[in-house]
Parts: sequence; structure tokens; C-alpha cells
Amino acid sequence: MTKAVHFLPDEKSHEATRLLPYVMAVMVYLSALALMGSMMLHKGFGDWTESLSNRLTVQITTLDPEQREVQVNQVIDRLRKTPGIDYVRKLNQVEIEELLEPWLGEGNVTSDLPVPDILDVTVSRTLQLDLDALRGMLTRISENIYLDDHQQWLGRFLRLMDMVEYTALGILLLVVMATVCIVIFGTKAGMAENRETIAVMHHLGAQDGMIARAFQDRFMAYGLKGGVIGLLLAFVTLVSLIYLSRDLASGLVKVPEFPVTQVAILLVIPLFAAFISLATARITVLRDLGRMV
Amino acid sequence: MIHFENVGMRYGMGSEVLKDISFNLKPGSLHFLTGPSGAGKTSLLKLMYLAHRPSRGKITMFREDVGAAARTDLPRLRRRIGVVFQDFRLLDHLTAVENVALPLWIAGGKGAEIEEHVEELLTWVGLEGRMKSRPPTLSGGEKQRVAIARAVIKRPDILLADEPTGNVDPAIAKRIMHLFVELNKLGTTTVIATHDMGLVKKVKANRMHLSDGKLHMIQAGEDAPEPQDTDFDPSKFEIRRLDQNEFGPKTYTSIGDGENEA
Repeated sequence: MTKAVHFLPDEKSHEATRLLPYVMAVMVYLSALALMGSMMLHKGFGDWTESLSNRLTVQITTLDPEQREVQVNQVIDRLRKTPGIDYVRKLNQVEIEELLEPWLGEGNVTSDLPVPDILDVTVSRTLQLDLDALRGMLTRISENIYLDDHQQWLGRFLRLMDMVEYTALGILLLVVMATVCIVIFGTKAGMAENRETIAVMHHLGAQDGMIARAFQDRFMAYGLKGGVIGLLLAFVTLVSLIYLSRDLASGLVKVPEFPVTQVAILLVIPLFAAFISLATARITVLRDLGRMV
Repeated sequence: MIHFENVGMRYGMGSEVLKDISFNLKPGSLHFLTGPSGAGKTSLLKLMYLAHRPSRGKITMFREDVGAAARTDLPRLRRRIGVVFQDFRLLDHLTAVENVALPLWIAGGKGAEIEEHVEELLTWVGLEGRMKSRPPTLSGGEKQRVAIARAVIKRPDILLADEPTGNVDPAIAKRIMHLFVELNKLGTTTVIATHDMGLVKKVKANRMHLSDGKLHMIQAGEDAPEPQDTDFDPSKFEIRRLDQNEFGPKTYTSIGDGENEA
């Protein structure tokens, strides 16, 4: 490694580059939000799909209460005897009202409302269940019994989940690219400001690596400083958003929790910003110096 | 030490500023580089301090063909050359000590010994009270002495100086020349570009005279053309006193007499 020689002017005197740490802070802020958003959505979607992937819902909509009671017991009995089904439970009136309240409003679920009976069925993860056969068996009991395995909307939901995650990663990629461009501009501005200094060092016999190192060290410091500021701001924003969304959350949507165990990844962002700045500045300076004799 | 063979140089697509330059400077020799402004002195020096590659011909320095040398080899060669630039090229944000220390830093020298060495040299060139001053606060002569100190601090194998005594008083100029001669005696091949014929006459050295991009080597003591700043030849112009009659008689009257200047 070439010895560092501090031949560049004090960074405070640099008009063009002195704002770079703050631009880097904004870039890191956006990157951190995109990454954190992606991680939270990934975990949230994962939790939702996990909770639904081994669940079935059976609705019995027969209007006659006595006949329906008989059908409910019959269905529960049949399901409990079916291999591949671990658990069957009938939702009580309070649970059904809680499910309907987000749609109809609190206190609007009255006793004269034709609400079906709902069975929550937990399916074994180890045994494959023949859903068509199960559906046929339920239909033979009554035409008013419906089996919902959630696959139709879950499939769409998974596609949406993928799209949102890829969008977040796309935003992250764009921000990284913008960061690289900004560092290139900043490095070139810094080189233009110090053209004479570079020329003198070059004529005095300084290796390109020595000149590049002075720039890369400076830009690495800019990246690190901006990275720490940006990450702190992103944490503050995220904590505020989670706090606010908890107040707004209803029974319909469960607010995704921040995966605390993955927080270490976020701490890498300022280091990544510093590395991008360092590498970009070094490559830019070496390419420009390569044009000199 | 420095060998040029049919070297030509042009800037971009322009015409050649140096044509068929051939010479050989022996190790430890001292040369003045003279010639009118625009003759190509600075361009020749640029070739010698490896700031440009020749358009044609071959340059050998330190027994290496510098035209064919890899770019990565050039810094090593440059570190063996000390240059006093005509416009000094000091770094304004560094102190005099730091400017002079640059070649030693670049060569990987250590702080304490560098500082001691640099301060000794700056004292020698008469800048003992200006060690921590930055170039914008120095006079032209002081800047020049800092530039010279920077060029010689590492005892280079080759010293190239572009008008090194142009901005200093005769006493300092004498001192600087003494430094160059002493360095030369220690084995440094020295080339001094100058317009100062008084300086050239005082020091016994060979001359490299450039005129219209061509080089004439003149042995010490030989008669040679005087360096001229321009192609202006005063002998072609007649300067004579004009008779008053050529303007006609002049009569002045007082203001208010009602008459104007005749």
C-alpha cells in the first residue's frame, strides 16, 4: 500500500465537494428506507402466508338454524376423521363479529344478519390433502357448504408481494447507481479544483496510486459520515412510521414488525456507502490520471 | 545521462515546436539553455522532465528509452529529476516547509528527518523566517527560492531549471547559482534555461541554444548568438529627433483672449 501524503487542501475549503456528505446522507437515507421497507414487507408477507398456508375455512350457509346445526356437527365429525387434518374449530359469535366489524362497523353486526357458521381448519404440514375429494365430500352433505383454501387470492397476494419486494430492491439499486454517479461527479469536481496540485505531484514523481489514495480516503470519509447520518435519520423515520401505523392499525391489517435480528445488515449500509465512495473515487482518479503522460 | 536522437515534438495536430533535436548530456555536466521566447526552451524542458512524450525520435535518460517506457515506470524516473518551474508551481495551501518536503514525502521519507533537512535548506536559501509561510504571502523571489529548494532537496541526478534567477536580486541569484554549481560538482547533471546573459557569461558552461525549434550546441567560451526575447530587430528601425518645423510653429494664447490654439 502506498504511503498516504496529505497534499490536498483542507476539505473545508472545497466548495464543490464539501456538501457531498449531506448528499450521501440523503442517498443512504433512501437506501436504508428501501432496504428496511423491503425487509419488513418480506417478513410481514412471510408471516401472513405462513399463517394461511396450512389453513382452510369452511362456511355453512344453510338458512335453517336447526338443519345448519346438524350439518356443522356432521362436517366437524367428518373433517376430524379425515387424514391430513390436524384440527377443526367452529368460530364463536364474538370471533365472527370481530371479523365483520372492519367491514360493517362496530355494533352493526346484529342478530338478524344472515351470518354463516365458519369452521377454522388446520391442515397437517406433513400429509398431502386431496382438496377436491374433501370438497366433494362436503358438497354431498349440503350444497350450502363451501370450502375455501385461500389459494386463489393467496396466489395473487404472493405475486403482489414479489412485485413490491422487487420494486423496493429496484429502488435500492437506482439509489446505489445515483450514489455512484454523485461520487463520480464529486470526484471529478475535486480533481478539477485540484488539477494543479495533481499535476505538481505527478511531475514530482508521485505514483498514480498515491494521488488516488488521497482522493479515495477523503471520499470514503464523506461516504461514512453521510452513511451514519442517513442511517440514523432512516431509523428515526422508521420508528416514527411504525409508531403511527400501530395507532392506525385495524383488525384487517397486521402491521409488519421490524425484523430486529436483521438490524446488523442495516449497520453495514454506511460501510457500504463508504466503500462505494472509495472505489468510485479511486477508479475515477486512476482513469483520469491514466490520460496524463 | 540524457540522450536525444532526432527528436521532434508538436502539441496536438499543430506544427513541430522542436525539430530534429539531437544531443547528449554527460553525467555531471552543466548547461545553459538559451534562445528567444517561443524558441521551444520550455517544450524541451518538458520532454526532459517527462511531462510530454516526443512526437518522433528517441529519448534516453538514465539509460532507459523513456519514449518506450511503460507509464508506470515514469514516476520512478521523475523522482530522479529536480525541476524548477518558471511559474514555480508551488501548492498554495501548503507552507514553504511542506512544499519543499513534497519530493521527500513522495519518496517515503519520515517526518522528523524531513523537517530538519528542509529547514536547513530553506535557511541556506535565506528563508529562515518564512518556513511556515504559504506561497500567497511570499514575494516572487521567495517563491522562486522555495521552488528551487523543492527541486534540489532530494539531490536529484538531473536538475532542470526554467529561469531560476528571473525574480531574485543579484545577491540571491549569485547564491542560487552557487548552489546549482555545487550540486553539479556533486554529480548532478544541470540544465538552466535563462535569458540572463550576464549569468551565462559568469559561469563556465556549455550552451544549448534553441532558435526556431532547432538546437545548436555551443561549447563553453565560444561566441554564440545573444538570446532575444522576440524577433524584433532594433537596427531596422530609425530613431531620430523630430524638428519643431515638422509640426509647424506653435503659439499659445491665454484663455479668454478669444483665440484658440493655432
